[in-house]
Amino acid sequence: MKGPVVVVTGASAVTALGRTLPDTRDALASGKSAVAPIEGPGVPERRDRSPAARIGSFTTEPELPKSKARRLDRGSQYAMVAARQCLADAGYAMKGREERTGILFGTGSAGAGPLTEFERQMVESPESASPFLFPNTVSNAPASQAAIELGIKGPNVTITQKDPAPLNALFYGRMLVADGRADALLVGAADEWNLDYHLAYERVRATRTATRPGFVLGEGAAVILVEDEDAARARGARIAARVASVVSWGAPVSPQRRRADPATLAGVVRAALEEAGAAPGDVGLVHLSRNGVPATDSAEDAALASVFGPEPPRAVSIKDALGENPAIAAVQLALAADALRAEPTLGAVLVNAFGAGGNFLAAVLTAP
Amino acid sequence: MAGRRVVVTGLGAVTSLGKDLRSTWEGLVEGRSGIGPITLFDSSNFRTHLAAEIRELPEGVEPPLRRRLSRTDVIGLAAAAEALADSGLDLDREEPARIGVVLGAGVSGLLDSENYLRALLAKGPRGARPTRVLNHPPDQTTDRIAERWGFRGPRSTITTACSSSATSLGYAADLIRHGLCDVVVTGGADTFARLTHGGFNALRSVDPEPCRPFDRRRKGLTIGEAAGILVLEEEEHARRRGARPRARFLGYAVTSDAHHMTQPEPTGEAGARTLSACLAAAGLNPENVDYVNAHGTATPQNDSAETAAIKRALGPRAYEIPTSSIKSMLGHCLCSAGAIEAVATVLTIETGIVPPTISWGERDPECDLDVVPNVARKTRVRAALSNSFAFGGNSTVVAFGAA
Repeated sequence: MKGPVVVVTGASAVTALGRTLPDTRDALASGKSAVAPIEGPGVPERRDRSPAARIGSFTTEPELPKSKARRLDRGSQYAMVAARQCLADAGYAMKGREERTGILFGTGSAGAGPLTEFERQMVESPESASPFLFPNTVSNAPASQAAIELGIKGPNVTITQKDPAPLNALFYGRMLVADGRADALLVGAADEWNLDYHLAYERVRATRTATRPGFVLGEGAAVILVEDEDAARARGARIAARVASVVSWGAPVSPQRRRADPATLAGVVRAALEEAGAAPGDVGLVHLSRNGVPATDSAEDAALASVFGPEPPRAVSIKDALGENPAIAAVQLALAADALRAEPTLGAVLVNAFGAGGNFLAAVLTAP
Repeated sequence: MAGRRVVVTGLGAVTSLGKDLRSTWEGLVEGRSGIGPITLFDSSNFRTHLAAEIRELPEGVEPPLRRRLSRTDVIGLAAAAEALADSGLDLDREEPARIGVVLGAGVSGLLDSENYLRALLAKGPRGARPTRVLNHPPDQTTDRIAERWGFRGPRSTITTACSSSATSLGYAADLIRHGLCDVVVTGGADTFARLTHGGFNALRSVDPEPCRPFDRRRKGLTIGEAAGILVLEEEEHARRRGARPRARFLGYAVTSDAHHMTQPEPTGEAGARTLSACLAAAGLNPENVDYVNAHGTATPQNDSAETAAIKRALGPRAYEIPTSSIKSMLGHCLCSAGAIEAVATVLTIETGIVPPTISWGERDPECDLDVVPNVARKTRVRAALSNSFAFGGNSTVVAFGAA
């Protein structure tokens, strides 16, 4: 598809390295990492424990009063704060635009906290399990809670498709804007860390420990505001970046396996560059999919070597510091837009998201 | 890419009424109920004890893989196999990169992960086997279908609770309209779990009797299980290979109520906005619509709000349009409800038989449309709408028309 022109006019992130995008960016630039041993009540003793990149104590204020936050799960709290920050960053006033504004989120874990707590209560007594928990067990809780709070009445969709889910949301969102279903979309992801699932992933040897490689579970939320270019210009918005391409390829891989062949990944990257009308030399920055899984990391390295040759662009790997899940892929989109806003001479930023199960996506953002 | 139109060339179904499309449709036309006592887990501690469970799982998945798969993946793969066979596609002659998979999902393999969580609580980490937790992610069925048939096109799993699989149809159609795919396997699969039963019970939204959509005595829903898969295809692509489309996908609308996490917007304003947007996207006006497949969950709030929405959007014509809820027979199949209801809507257009709303006995003045009580009806259906409304105020309406 020669994609419709959509632009990014705002970006935000709530991460384990900071509750705003600038804080996160600065912490990453100074080499900080949020990856730490997991502690706290309920963490069983084990020598070879996987670490995680967790947010720890968190307040939704000033974006959302505590009284409202109390009723929300962690993922929805992150989403709400990130969505409000993003709209503020974009200078976007919702009033009068409710029906022309949509929200498209990716998630891998939204609802995990309320879900495991509800299960716990049901084991004790099925009939006394809290009716307040159940509605937030759904994956669309973060996006829909944000839509309710912000008054968004346009398209509202949540996608779960492995770690690249927010790129998937962007891929769909461009079609929604092109078809005139919305002028502006909050596109992002929200995820919350959950002990029960952490222990499961650790037991199936998917996550990293001191003695074996693997990924690290992260959490947070990040959002970009994408708008139809004409609509953005009409409201006098400052354009941070253009969404020049989003490419989505599948490969037949077992759902939980992280396997990729370099030629396929190179094909995804080449397709993303071609659709963006960018040559390899135009790319000033690459956000790597790299997450610590040897098979996919080495395939990505080989793919980039074949596309970019001996003089590759600067590449950054934020999952070393923030962990892996859809929210972190959304952080990469937010950082890519932010980098182009600060430094348009970067030209093009490539964001790779190569997930388990053969879900391979890449996006190219360019300077406006 | 303007002018690329979307047709339905294949259907597949697994439901409480039967393990394939034919038996499901026969059950719907005969007005049979798939609702019965819960067998998948001990429900004695719950307030209600009924569900529309799939009694017999379909064959077609080889035993070593079948042992590892969740119920949801088994029925999803079976319905996809049936839909692909129905489409007559010769996959050896198709470009795998031009075939996408977009499903709606949510509960998915939750029953498997509930068993892990229960063992974890009872016996601690050493007593719980975690491998089947990996069946829980809702994107599992989507990836399984792509893996099994080697599809390399775009994939997505929509997870917006009860509107998931209706929205997936819209996304799938967009992939074709925008020239990104020629064929998309779409719809959804979802199965029963303690959490959904316990959750809707906690909300006092489950009727202790089989659900009674649009009936004055209705007390809530009955949960069901289903897989409904549609093969959507670009019209010219279908024509070139000599396929006979079952129906056209005319358009859809996806919106946000911005009202409440569990309550529908009561005046019908939000639902009407979605219905009107769907009519506009599909190029329809109320006079062309001959059937509405209602969301019709049988909760007191949904059915009255939905009736109000249909009347606001379709005006006086609403009273002339048969509007039935097949949830009266299949239960509320949650994340696959939109898919199985779309399958039924396509068959309604194709055969001119409107499936009934069964268990209906007392008229509710707030649900005063023609709900096709208890007995199917033969009529001409040129175009039809199917409604899906979800937790979070996620609303989707899809429109199909005669081929």
